[in-house]
Amino acid sequence: MNSLDVVGPQLAVLVAAGLVLLLDSLVPQQRRLLPVVALLGLIVSALWTTSWVGRGDYQFLFDGTLALDKYSVFFYYVFAGITATVVLASIDWVNREGRGQGEYYALVLTVCSGLMFLAASRDLITIFLALELSSIPQYILAGWGKDSKSSEAGLKYLLLGAIASSLLLYGMALIYGITGTTLLPEIAAAIKADGETYRGLLIVATILLIAGFGFKMAVVPFQMWVPDVYQGAPTPVAAFLSVGSKAAAFAVVIRIFFEGLDADFLSDDWSMIFAVLAAASMTLGNVMAIVQTDIKRMLGYSSVAQAGNFMIGLAAISVAGNEFTLGASAILLFVAAYAFTNLGAFVGVIAISQRIGSDQIKDYAGMWKRSPVLALAVAFCLISLTGIPPTVGFWAKLYIFNAGIRADLVWLVLIGVLNSVVAGYYYLSVARQMFMGDAEEDKKFRASPSITMALGAATIGVIVFGIIPMPLMSAAQDAAEIFAR
Amino acid sequence: MLFLEAAPASAPTIDEAILWAIMLCPLVAWGLIAIYVRKIPVAAGYLAILGVGAACVLSYVTLFNVMDADGGIAIHSHEWFSAGDLVVNLGVRVDGLTAVMLVVVTTVAFLVQVYSTGYMQGDAGYGRYFAHMCLFTVSMLGLVLADNLFQMFIFWELVGLCSYLLIGFWFHKPSAAAAAKKAFIVTRIGDLGLLAALLLVWTRAGTFDVTAIQEWATSGEPEGYIVTLFALGLFAGAAGKSAQFPLHVWLPDAMEGPTPVSALIHAATMVAAGVYLVARFFPVFEASHDAAQFVAWIGAITALVAATIALVQTDVKRVLAYSTISQLGYMMLALGTFGYVAAIFHLFTHAFFKALLFLGSGSVNHATNTFDMRQMGGLKKYMPVTYWTFIIGSLSLAGIFPLAGFWSKDEILLDAWRHDRALWAIGLSVAFMTAFYMFRAIFLTFHGEYKGGQPVDHHDEDSHFHGDPAHPHESPWAMKGPLIVLSVPAIAAGWLAYDHLFKDFIEAALPHAESHGSTFEIGIAISSSVVAVAGIGAAWAVYMKRWVTSESIRATFAPFAIIFENKYYLDRIYEDLFVRTIFHRGWNALLQANDRYVVDGIVNGSGRLAREASSRLRVIQTGQVQSYGLGIVAGVIIIAVAVITANPL
Repeated sequence: MNSLDVVGPQLAVLVAAGLVLLLDSLVPQQRRLLPVVALLGLIVSALWTTSWVGRGDYQFLFDGTLALDKYSVFFYYVFAGITATVVLASIDWVNREGRGQGEYYALVLTVCSGLMFLAASRDLITIFLALELSSIPQYILAGWGKDSKSSEAGLKYLLLGAIASSLLLYGMALIYGITGTTLLPEIAAAIKADGETYRGLLIVATILLIAGFGFKMAVVPFQMWVPDVYQGAPTPVAAFLSVGSKAAAFAVVIRIFFEGLDADFLSDDWSMIFAVLAAASMTLGNVMAIVQTDIKRMLGYSSVAQAGNFMIGLAAISVAGNEFTLGASAILLFVAAYAFTNLGAFVGVIAISQRIGSDQIKDYAGMWKRSPVLALAVAFCLISLTGIPPTVGFWAKLYIFNAGIRADLVWLVLIGVLNSVVAGYYYLSVARQMFMGDAEEDKKFRASPSITMALGAATIGVIVFGIIPMPLMSAAQDAAEIFAR
Repeated sequence: MLFLEAAPASAPTIDEAILWAIMLCPLVAWGLIAIYVRKIPVAAGYLAILGVGAACVLSYVTLFNVMDADGGIAIHSHEWFSAGDLVVNLGVRVDGLTAVMLVVVTTVAFLVQVYSTGYMQGDAGYGRYFAHMCLFTVSMLGLVLADNLFQMFIFWELVGLCSYLLIGFWFHKPSAAAAAKKAFIVTRIGDLGLLAALLLVWTRAGTFDVTAIQEWATSGEPEGYIVTLFALGLFAGAAGKSAQFPLHVWLPDAMEGPTPVSALIHAATMVAAGVYLVARFFPVFEASHDAAQFVAWIGAITALVAATIALVQTDVKRVLAYSTISQLGYMMLALGTFGYVAAIFHLFTHAFFKALLFLGSGSVNHATNTFDMRQMGGLKKYMPVTYWTFIIGSLSLAGIFPLAGFWSKDEILLDAWRHDRALWAIGLSVAFMTAFYMFRAIFLTFHGEYKGGQPVDHHDEDSHFHGDPAHPHESPWAMKGPLIVLSVPAIAAGWLAYDHLFKDFIEAALPHAESHGSTFEIGIAISSSVVAVAGIGAAWAVYMKRWVTSESIRATFAPFAIIFENKYYLDRIYEDLFVRTIFHRGWNALLQANDRYVVDGIVNGSGRLAREASSRLRVIQTGQVQSYGLGIVAGVIIIAVAVITANPL
């Protein structure tokens, strides 16, 4: 297998990005083909990924900096799916916005390739490059809207993202200084050999890494940008940020910490940091979400709370053999479940606010009468976000709580359970508005075809995997297998 | 003497598909109603009847099959989800207990659906009503059929949701919306206990399987206090759902829902789910005598408190609601005194006669447009069928020989007698009050002069009342029919006690089928009968003959009457202490502070920006970005300091 084959999925996406740009400038009258090309690129990428699954000869390439293993394959699928949904959800908005259509899709595809690289990297430098490859287009996308709120969001995201990146670089530099290498397995070996003498420095480096990635994950205390940026950025972009970059950040953090920094004398420290951050994120995110009146801000805070749920899986590292992978597989399942669920919720918001021209939760009243299918789909996504069966979000939450309990983090799981109750309050009150509230007008409407496709795919995923969770779960368990020891 | 060797129970041979089909029939009906025929009310009603009717037939098939197997247990389990060593199954379990519950749920549900086609006629939400009722039936059947605690919990929450939706069915009425919310929140408090029990059994036993949990609890492997905690957690959930003191306050308010809902959910089935849960895990309570003692006393207190409040209610539906609470207390009392059979037997008979009584009160409401007994009276001559069926239900509830309630209540009192005389005494006094308040209700409603009912308010858009309250009339056949049908089990269901039929049947569901008390004892039977007849006589003396006026009794026992009328001030305490003081003052103050200092700061900041639509540079000058950046750095420093302090280098 040659090295290009390994980066095939990323290349397919990047080539599609180039094609979109070319097409936009060469055949400007055929703009409606742009999203089709983008989707084709993503499909090719997914097919390429599938072609490996049968062969199963996973390996490391480019001097070990990129891994082709079940773990990266899992994320390739996730990112291709997320990006495809975002492209579908963007079509109406981009058409209406008019300008720079080719650039928009090209940027979205570039982000996707960056996220894919991030999931496969096992070298600090590659990780940093991949992170920037995915981040810089996101800064631009966040500021893509014409209104000042969007510009504000873009600039804010850029400036704070720069701070986070610099912290991350400091952390990486420290690790390189201590171990003399940037390759994760070599870092692990070096730390296990004589890292204990540098324990203090290593902890500082660990904290800096957590801060850098915590920014992308949107966990407390690195979450402050979230509501502003989600509210200001175009909604499809906010959806992308809330799912894509969060998932990628968790993907790479699992790799760094479980593969590079898993020395016994270190892992207790960082698993405790993660536990505390998880508790803080869940609690703060949920409490703040309750008082929101704008649904995008609410989803912003909710994504902070959800990041706390993810993080239970990071904290749940128990060194006892097989259970080591439980936390990792829990996060993977949560990533997939959250991708379906949160994208569904955001796409629903796009569909509704397109028609009613408002993001205020009170304006969602009576949606059930105006657009029953849409209301039902959004309700299912909200139920899944709360973690109530029969939705995929329920299994994800159960699995991650199970990982927590197995790692003796009963206190954290209790906080999680209590938080679920609080979360249920604000998620379900939106659902209640839709079903029981009185609409000010009762003109019926339907979502556009592309939105319907995106929302349909997400909702079907939420429900089908809610009833039959095993396939998704086995995939997550397989992917996490690489961390078994 | 002849000793009959009980035949060893074998596993029922019933096909697994039939068991799933019991759940599936109403589910399909629900789906069809929800998707297609919400707009065609008539079809919704018939679909619901068809779906539930099919489930009912299959339930009887199951019952006879299990009877053939002498109450043996059959479990069909499939792996649904596994994470590490946690395995969650999706399965059905059928045994005597399940079969009895299936039959109770589907029979009452079927009759109530038929009745509803008459009662809900013309309601704007007719289709929605039947959809909710179908979903409820599915959830309740799922709860009963589940072979593991986890699955039970899912359906447990689903029945709670349906209950919420149906109590608040007329959600335009503020009182209905408030009642729905109250029911949801109060039962949620109990459910926290159940959730804790779930977590406990998950961490300690590592399984959710009913049989495995029963074995785990009785094996002596876990420490005693763990078993007690688990049992108490289960009971907390059961107390919420079955309206046990002090969580009973939601049930009377739940009467805001349509009356058939009260009959099905808040009398016959869902409120009995708590009793079912405790019975399902009966061996756990046997293993923890402390927990059982607690259950018995809570049950007794509930029975007494509710019965005393029922004495002074003026709303016939509320009398029935408190009576339900009181009878549920009886069942818990029985479980706590290890009267497993007595509890389930009473659940079984109670479901029929209480559903009958509720439907009867609905029929009265259909004629008079009110539930207030002070506006009724003399309905006997207008509504003979309703009257006589109501009498049958009341006699059964009062425990008059040879009606159903007599046999089951007697078993409970016998178990209480054997266990603790104080509990028995409470039970006996409740029996007196039960007979009294039921016949007080009958005399006020059906005897004397008719007082005209509640005039129809034509400005009230939610009112779906069509008749003329001034000229009450008997209800249509859709409503009379179920009343007559339900009278049969209200009379005869108790005869299953004959030759230990019922006892042997459901005892086989327990892992160690030994005698769990209770047959028949003439002394107990006579004492309870005397007390019941005395209660009826007292009501007759006060409300028919007026030898003593109710006012003078009230004056004599004024302090008690005031306490009863104010429902022991529990609602007031909850309102003032929990809702107003702790919730509003405490929690809201916290949120407001958060609002004022944190959210408003941010929102005002960005809001100002939006208004001024200023240049990009302005954005940075507001100071927000700096403060956010500072926040990130501060976060790093705080974490570093915390880690290093907690864990010196």
